[in-house]
Parts: sequence; structure tokens; C-alpha cells
Amino acid sequence: MSGSGEREVAAILEECRVLVEDPTYPAVRRWREAHPGGKVLGHFQVYFPEEIPHAAGMLPVKIMGAGSTVQIRKADARIAAFVCSIIRSSLELALTGRLDFLSVFVTPPICDAARNACAVWVRNLPSLNSQVLYLPQNAASPHAAAYLRDEYRRIAGVVEEAVGRPITDDGLRRSIALYNENRRLLRDLYRVKRETPWLLSAVEAYTLVRAGGLMPREEHNVLLRRVLGLLPEREAKRQDKIRVVFEGGYCEQPPLDMLAVIQDACYIVDDDLLIGLRWLTGDVPTDGEPLASLARAYLDGSSYSPVQHDPRKPKPEMLLRRIRESHADAAIVAAPKMCEPGLEDQVNHIRALEAAGIPHLVLEFEEKMTVFEQMRMEVETFAESLLFDFA
Amino acid sequence: MLVAGVDVGSTQTKAVVMDDTRIVGRALLDTGARLHEAAAAAFREALLAAGAREADVACIVGTGYGRFRVQFGHAQVTEISCHARGAVYLFPRTRSVLDIGGQDTKAIRVSETGQVLDFCMNDKCSAGTGRFLGAASQALEIPLSELGPLALRSKNPVTMTTTCTVFAESEILGWLARGRRIEDVLMGVHVAIASRSLSLLRRVGVEPEVTFTGGVARNVAMVRLLEELTGSPVNVSEESHYCGAIGAALYALDRALVGAQAATVAAEAVDGGRGA
Repeated sequence: MSGSGEREVAAILEECRVLVEDPTYPAVRRWREAHPGGKVLGHFQVYFPEEIPHAAGMLPVKIMGAGSTVQIRKADARIAAFVCSIIRSSLELALTGRLDFLSVFVTPPICDAARNACAVWVRNLPSLNSQVLYLPQNAASPHAAAYLRDEYRRIAGVVEEAVGRPITDDGLRRSIALYNENRRLLRDLYRVKRETPWLLSAVEAYTLVRAGGLMPREEHNVLLRRVLGLLPEREAKRQDKIRVVFEGGYCEQPPLDMLAVIQDACYIVDDDLLIGLRWLTGDVPTDGEPLASLARAYLDGSSYSPVQHDPRKPKPEMLLRRIRESHADAAIVAAPKMCEPGLEDQVNHIRALEAAGIPHLVLEFEEKMTVFEQMRMEVETFAESLLFDFA
Repeated sequence: MLVAGVDVGSTQTKAVVMDDTRIVGRALLDTGARLHEAAAAAFREALLAAGAREADVACIVGTGYGRFRVQFGHAQVTEISCHARGAVYLFPRTRSVLDIGGQDTKAIRVSETGQVLDFCMNDKCSAGTGRFLGAASQALEIPLSELGPLALRSKNPVTMTTTCTVFAESEILGWLARGRRIEDVLMGVHVAIASRSLSLLRRVGVEPEVTFTGGVARNVAMVRLLEELTGSPVNVSEESHYCGAIGAALYALDRALVGAQAATVAAEAVDGGRGA
């Protein structure tokens, strides 16, 4: 790659890193300056159909905690310490005015903590319209699609009230097309991770993906297209590392330094990091009734996570398939501290990996952790046990 | 062929020089604050003991939490990999390794070739590690080396409710204030550490033979308790302190042999080319 190409990639990655590490949401504030009176909808992990607020001219942003950038002072007085970090740090962001740009906040009831978080937000942030998006408990039910379409309709009503104008089907179709393009670009990015992981480190890929939840998707598409165009020319040599699938990043996010520790010894060739941004695995049709199409895609054309219960998608088998399809040697099965769904699935994942004879390493993390020496030793030992010749 | 392993631990730094698979020199020093100096000094001392010069050593591998500070080393390998390898060297039938060090405890399941099959460590805190015995030693004003023999005199050990190093001292003083004998309190401390270590071992699966390494392996009461709890004899070597450094030296030997083999192949290729 030419020097200018590498510099351009580095500049884009730096821009993404700033977005990821700055808890003041700089891209959102820039958007609001450029769109006076523009409204912002924040949504908690994992999945939310951003096409709905986008079609109304709102800026949808992902609320995904604060990592180690914010010390929790106010939220701990309102949420018990046995609740995971991301719930508490997200509330801290709101209580300290860092999310004062939000008009609407939506959380799906992915776990007890998230379900009850909405009530905590309602009580403590009375001027904010906080809502629960009630995703179907049984995604395989024949009634789920109609139910979910109606639930999307209800949320669309909340959005219409916030912006003061109706959402049109044509507007929704245009938004779906934009998000289809974003999903396609993210699929291309993951193809790079699987096929030539040495061209893009785990931290680089992650910051590129995560930036999408923090900036207008139109801008994210431009940025992804540019990086994907430049990557094949990047001069990077394949290293002697094991290929792993990372599982456990669907809600609370591992710190960048944790991913850096893993990438020093492994290529992360596939993962469930921020799976909500990549939840729909194919294109959503742009003809027909848009909300029904979005509902159908959530149910039938989607990935898997510990917080969706769908008997058609047995999670351990889905993990094994992810490992197979990415030609991984091993898996890193992680879970955030205090995450009930994550820890529950971890048991089944480990059992399936043992039965399949796939080496795996179990890690526990917390978004705010800052010391990684022990984790480095564990990851290195794991890699050594697979790389060294013990004949 | 001479090789070396340098294990920079949190409390002590160990170095071993090997001639192929035979230990010919060893050294043990307190680590202190300057890790790279401790590594260099231990290596120098081990060389001296072996009667060798640095230039004679084909490969050096660093291990331990200060492994990246072994600046004169050719490679780094984690202490888990090295302890596993070292334990199988010392006791070839080892399948489980328990390493209780100054600040952490590791349980390792290992293959007959020394490959790590599974492992787990204590959490970030030092509960149930050597540091816990250090706290007991301080609270009771008894040297570390005397803790084990004194604990073995206990007939009615107390039950410690914590393995937290911070709270240990107040609990120990509490038992003494209630009139319990020092050896009973001490045995309670040992039982607490042994039980916690055993649960780590159970997580990876206790498979005989069990080899006990790390500084705490020198404590006779701990060895006795682990044998009782696992229901089988526990291997402890006079060299157990050097287990990590031995493993590192064996990895150095692997590397040196691969290097020598590659050099031979290259030389043969050159000779073959000349002959043709």
C-alpha cells in the first residue's frame, strides 16, 4: 500500500477510536450542530431496528455503556452492585448529562437488568421518553411476525410523536436500503477477518464496526467503503497465530485492551461483538410492507445471541457452525461479570466445544477493567498449548 | 548443548542452565523492583554455577510475570506452560500440577509430553495464595519456614471463614483473642488455602499424579493437607522452586535444536549444491 493509503486507513481508524473512547458522543453533537432541531434516539443493546427512527429523520445511536472512561458515582445509588457494568455505566452517562441530546431512549427486555433499567430511567430522567421494545419471547411462534410488526408500529408512533410528523413507507424503504448497504459492508469486513485476518487487527475491525453505532449510518457507509477499498493493498504479513472465534461480546463490550491482548496471540476470525449491528444476516426486502419486512428479518434472517430464545437456532450448534465456517482452530468463550444470559449460555457452549473436541479458553471480563496481565498470560498459554510442537 | 531458563516471579527470580536435559547450574534471588537486573543477576549466577560463559548458551527463554524483562532472552513462554513442562521433567508421570506462588495459584492439567491441556488461576486478588501465609506469618510473628511444622502439631484446627488476605489478619487475631492455640489457628489457615487450591484443581480435573510446585510446596503442612484432600500422594521435588525455570530451559532446548536442525539442513543444501 502506498504511504498515503496507509495514512488514510490510519486516520479513519483513529477517527473511529476517538468515537469509541469519547463518552461525550462527539459525532452526535456534530450531527446536531449540522441539523438544528434534529432529534436523537438512543437504544440499548442488543438489536434495535434503526431504520424506524432514521426514516423519521432522527439520528439513532447505540447506548453501549462507558467502558473505563467514566467513574460510576450516581448510578450506583440507583442500581445494585450485582447488576452488570453496562447497565450502570449507561445510566451514569444519562445521569451526568452526557446523553442530554436524547429525545427517546429504548431498551429491549433482553434480561432482567435491561427490562428493569427502563423503569429506572423513567423515574430518574422524567423529561426523557424511555420505552421498552417488547421483542417476542418466542421467535418461532407463527404469531411472532404479526406481533412484532405491531410492536414496531407502536415504536414508530413514539418516534412520530417525538419528531412531530408521520413516517412514510417510502421513507422506511429508503432507510432499509441504506442499512442493507451498511450490513453488506459489514459482511465484507467480516470476510476480510475470516480470509485475511492479518490485514486488519481485531481492535481495528472492532472500532470500525462500533463507530457505526455512534455516527450517522450514511457516514459509516462512506468510511467502510473507503477502508475496504484500501485494505487489499495493505502491507501486512501473515503471522504464526491461532485462529479463534470470540463469543461473548453481544452486549457489554470487552475493553479495547482486552481485544489487544487476544490479538497479540490470536487472529479473531469471527465473533459476536456488537452482534446487534449485524443482527440481520441478509438484505431486508425494500418492496412490500416495510415494518412487516423488518419484523420478518428479525425472526427469520438473523444471527443468534444469548438473549434471543429461538428453538430453530440452538446456540451451541450455531457457535460450532461459526467456528467451522471461519476455519477457526479454537474458541474464546467470554462472558461479562454478572451477565446472567451470557454465563448461562457459556455452560452449554463449553459442553458443546468439549464434545466436538474444539480447544477453548474461558475468560471473564468487565467493560471497566484496566489490568490485563493475568488475561495476557492465560491467552498466551492457550495459544502456546496449540502452537508448540509436543511430539 | 547449553540452554537456559530464567523465571522472573513476583517474589523471587530463578535461573537454570541445562546441558541438554541435565541441570548444570541454578540460582535463586529476590526479585525486587528492578526486574531486568534480577533476571540478569540470576542468569549470571547460574552460569557461574555451571562453569559456563554466556556465549556458550545456545538459547535463553524467559518466563514468569517479568518474562518480557529478560532482555537478553531469545523468547518468552508463560509460566503456566513452563511449570507444566518442568513438572513433567521432574516427575514424568505428572498429569496435574498445582502451583502456589507468592501472588497467584495455578492448577494445570498436562499431557505426558508436557503440553498444557487445561488450566485455571485464582482471581485477581491474592486470596488463597502464598501471600495469605505471609499475612498469617506476620500476624502471628512466626517465620514463614516454621509455619508448616507448627501447624502439623494442631489437634483441633479452627475454621477460617475467609481466604481474603486483607481480612485474614483480623480473623487470626480474633481466634487468638478467643483463646485458641496458635497451631490450631495456623492449621485453619492452611486448610483454607488447601481447600481453595483444590477447588481450582477440580475445575481442570484432578488426575494423578499430582505435582505440587511453587514456593508454598516447601510447606510440609500444605503438602500433607493436599495429599489428604486429593486422596493420593503429591509429588514435591527439591527442585520445585526451579520448576518454571526448568520448563523455560526445556523450551529453549527445543528452539536451539530446531535452529541447529535448520542450520544442518542449510549446510547440507549448500554442500549438495557444491557437489552437483
